[in-house]
Amino acid sequence: MILSRLTPQNFRNLASDEIAFHPTANIVVGRNGQGKTNLLEAIYFLATTKSFRTPRTASIFRFDSPSVFVAGALQRYGVEKTISAALETGETKRRVLMINGEKVTLAAYLNAMSVFAYSAARLEILRGAPEEKRRFLDRGVASVDPAYLEQLTRYTRVLKQRNALLHAISAGREAPSQLNAWDDELTRAAAVLHRARAAYAAEVSKTYAEIVAEHGYHIRDLAIHYRPSLVADLGQTRRAEIRARVSLSGPQRDTIEFTTGGRPAQDVLSGGEQKMVVLFLKFAKLELFRRRFDEPAVFLLDDVDAELDLEILQELLVRLPPKTQVFATSAKERFVRALAAGSHRRLIVENGRVTATEDLA
Amino acid sequence: MTAPPLANLINELTKLPGVGGKSASRLAYHILKRPVAEAESLATAILEVKSKIFRCSICNNMTDVEPCAICDDPRRDASIICVVEEAFNIATIEQTRDFRGVFHVLLGALSPLKGVGPQDIDVHGLVRRVQSGNVREVIVATNPNVEGEATALYIAQQLRTLDVKTTRLAFGLPVGGDLEYADQVTMAKALEGRREI
Ligand SMILES: [Zn+2]
Repeated sequence: MILSRLTPQNFRNLASDEIAFHPTANIVVGRNGQGKTNLLEAIYFLATTKSFRTPRTASIFRFDSPSVFVAGALQRYGVEKTISAALETGETKRRVLMINGEKVTLAAYLNAMSVFAYSAARLEILRGAPEEKRRFLDRGVASVDPAYLEQLTRYTRVLKQRNALLHAISAGREAPSQLNAWDDELTRAAAVLHRARAAYAAEVSKTYAEIVAEHGYHIRDLAIHYRPSLVADLGQTRRAEIRARVSLSGPQRDTIEFTTGGRPAQDVLSGGEQKMVVLFLKFAKLELFRRRFDEPAVFLLDDVDAELDLEILQELLVRLPPKTQVFATSAKERFVRALAAGSHRRLIVENGRVTATEDLA
Repeated sequence: MTAPPLANLINELTKLPGVGGKSASRLAYHILKRPVAEAESLATAILEVKSKIFRCSICNNMTDVEPCAICDDPRRDASIICVVEEAFNIATIEQTRDFRGVFHVLLGALSPLKGVGPQDIDVHGLVRRVQSGNVREVIVATNPNVEGEATALYIAQQLRTLDVKTTRLAFGLPVGGDLEYADQVTMAKALEGRREI
């Protein structure tokens, strides 16, 4: 699947013009603050209904706009499919997802387009809150196993119900015996997530090492320590949980740590090294996706700067799985030139609008 | 501005499940265009359903006779009880024609988030029916979603000490789905492949 056209509406500062893309490489240039990253973010939003810069989707709405809408045209084996995602702010927070003009469920929608994004915001994978790290694993698992999202939703629902029950028991509104039913469900749903996350963490680790070795980068021993919070013997922790009014074990408490040389990666690596490590992790995820599906994917590369090893980046891009469609942004002409190895389209962004495009061979 | 009586009808129709503002006004204008007799029979049908239909004292099914036609049918096997969340789920099971037992309607599923506990659904009535004897098997056909699953487990725990086999439908149904949308073949398979819990 290739993204051939995009129409954003009320998405940050982007104008509501239709933008046409090159099937393999698109390089977005322009001065800082003009909307280069917003364009990549709109593509990411189209594919995932989320932002890659922030967990708070509220910030993607154009100032004062009650809704945001992004539509795109996807090409696959010569067949065109249109998809669109609309989101409302405020209390309604309604989300309408469509494929070829028909409303679809989130799970069906997310299957339409596969996207992988690298940006400086993604350094949170190494140094951010545990949720960020879990999201790194969850998105990865979902990219190779579409059923995972449903399992995650199911677990989250059981957890919410069980926490509500703990609350009601603590307030004396329900009997503790009702917990037995929810304990069984929680334990089963948690085991599914734990297995999937552990398997994926191991695979990403291994693939990272392979890619890094291939490109001769010096941070070779990045280890991913996935520490699942296994569901305790819930009979034993019951009293503590009723007191806490919240489930005290389970995937919502899993932690992930990245180390190199046995020490936390975020403490010993320089800013540039962290960027490279995250970049390699992204390529590892993309590689795992390719092995599983042999399908084209969209790769977003935001803000290429001097801290990235350009030589390696170029090599990585050259060796991308065929038919990967790349979108890259940079503020500096010399980085742009370095990226533009093959045939590509250059899009110049000024004040939220693509003012010029040029195809280069 | 919409005339108040018309606006009133539209407003009442939007309270129905699955009816949005647009469909409500389409329905209202349709009713307005049809002869008075048609509107009268619709109004009568609505009122009659409220005055003549009540819940069966044995199984909670919607009925106009006591006990309901299923409970009263001597050809049905009262030793097998199929437990469903809502009365309209009975039709889904009945369409298979494979099930010859009787039903028990819970009137909902456990949901701490909505404040629905065991005392709000009729598990008690089910336990009483089983205790009164002559019940060999209880088939739990609650929805295959989080709440339906917890309800099934809860029921199994309540029946554990009684001399009865408790089974659960084998769902080839989409997990998280709804019994309501199961077709005849899927439902028949789910019944046939039921497993003890
Ligand atoms: Zn009855």
